[in-house]
Amino acid sequence: MIYLDSAATSFLKPPSVERAMVRAMHTMASPGRGSYTQAMRASNMMYECRELAGELFNFENTERIVFTSNATHSLNIAIRTMARSGDKVVISGYEHNSVTRVLQDIGARVIVAEAPLFDSEAAIKSFESRLDGAKLVVCNHISNVFGFVQPIYGISELCQRKNIPLIVDASQSAGVCEIDTARLKAAFIAMPGHKGLLGPQGTGILLCGDEPVPILFGGTGSDSIVQTMPDYLPDLLEAGTHNIPGIAGLSEGIRFVLKETPAKIGEYERYLCRRTAERLKNIDELEIFSTELACQTGVLSVRHTVLDSENLCEKLGKRGIACRCGLHCAPIAHKTAGTIDTGTLRISFSPFNSEKEVLTAVNALEKIIVHKK
Amino acid sequence: MRYLFMCKSLTYAQRSQKLLERAGISANIIKSPSSLSTRGCGYSVSVGYVRGSRAAEILKKSNLLQGKIYLQESIGSYKEVVF
Repeated sequence: MIYLDSAATSFLKPPSVERAMVRAMHTMASPGRGSYTQAMRASNMMYECRELAGELFNFENTERIVFTSNATHSLNIAIRTMARSGDKVVISGYEHNSVTRVLQDIGARVIVAEAPLFDSEAAIKSFESRLDGAKLVVCNHISNVFGFVQPIYGISELCQRKNIPLIVDASQSAGVCEIDTARLKAAFIAMPGHKGLLGPQGTGILLCGDEPVPILFGGTGSDSIVQTMPDYLPDLLEAGTHNIPGIAGLSEGIRFVLKETPAKIGEYERYLCRRTAERLKNIDELEIFSTELACQTGVLSVRHTVLDSENLCEKLGKRGIACRCGLHCAPIAHKTAGTIDTGTLRISFSPFNSEKEVLTAVNALEKIIVHKK
Repeated sequence: MRYLFMCKSLTYAQRSQKLLERAGISANIIKSPSSLSTRGCGYSVSVGYVRGSRAAEILKKSNLLQGKIYLQESIGSYKEVVF
């Protein structure tokens, strides 16, 4: 199988991730629940994972690095902390349902700062013209549909100037882009552990710049007499038993990213993306959403003039090539880019994809479209 | 005899332990004895008698001295101390 759906989850991982998960299952118990060896081993591993994440994101306060079950969980905590019913909340034109559905549920007044694809300057101007009276800005760093790297540092500067808190959805950027939290000064940065950080599914991280409000209540192994949640992090947000095998795997994923560096991984994925786009441009019936500019990473969307993306995806799947089709849980991104009626076929890359694999996939797509096979 | 530095949470205890070990002070994390823990379960960093005052100094400098400090004279016998 050729796996080209890494924007959904990193199916391809360093072997050390699986080894760490198995080791955790055999040797680690619940952290914070005792001083015996297996509990302390779990506690130490978790602390080490916080330290590794702190190093990767230039984030010093390890206790403010919170483990969650995925980016959606992280975003729910962040958005529910910062937004109230009726608040004006400005979001980019490329947000995921993990942001928009939460805002809808809260009853926030959502303003979309639309901007053309791969136009960073227009994105900044679009935000700038909509910020008056805003209580919150939520913006993803990279679009999960088009790989558009949004000008997040510029948007952050605007927010700082107007004293508006910013929540960054780093779902597609963590592990493939430098994220400097000291420069971003975001209220919260949410991310999954299972995408660019190469950990297993069921892991996520929330970096807390601001004071969060919990959405989950229960045991933390601390202050047990008190019937309110502890008022300190990470305990405030980490009720219940941790996903220890998951965090052990995530630790190894982050270690791999630190060794290879996000810049190097991102550059390689961008290279694969460009190679794919160049080759697919030869197929007249395909519309390719790509740019020569640096503001696209290893995520590429295409659509056929006649064939549905679902149809293409199914045919590729039968040839052992895994891609994703449809709206990718981001209808706003498709409205902005003008692809809402069709959706797109999304090809996304991993540091473990070879150029040969990518060319095989391109050839398969060519055969399906040009030779109708 | 050992000193027990009561910590706000396990993560703070871990931060304190790492900091002390980087300064060459051997420190263990233990569950705080229930007789000392007014809010229920908690964690402490345990440091040998000789290094107690140096440990307190280091933790204070990094804003990690957040709870009471006890001198454990024998099992079950604790005396609150101030550095």
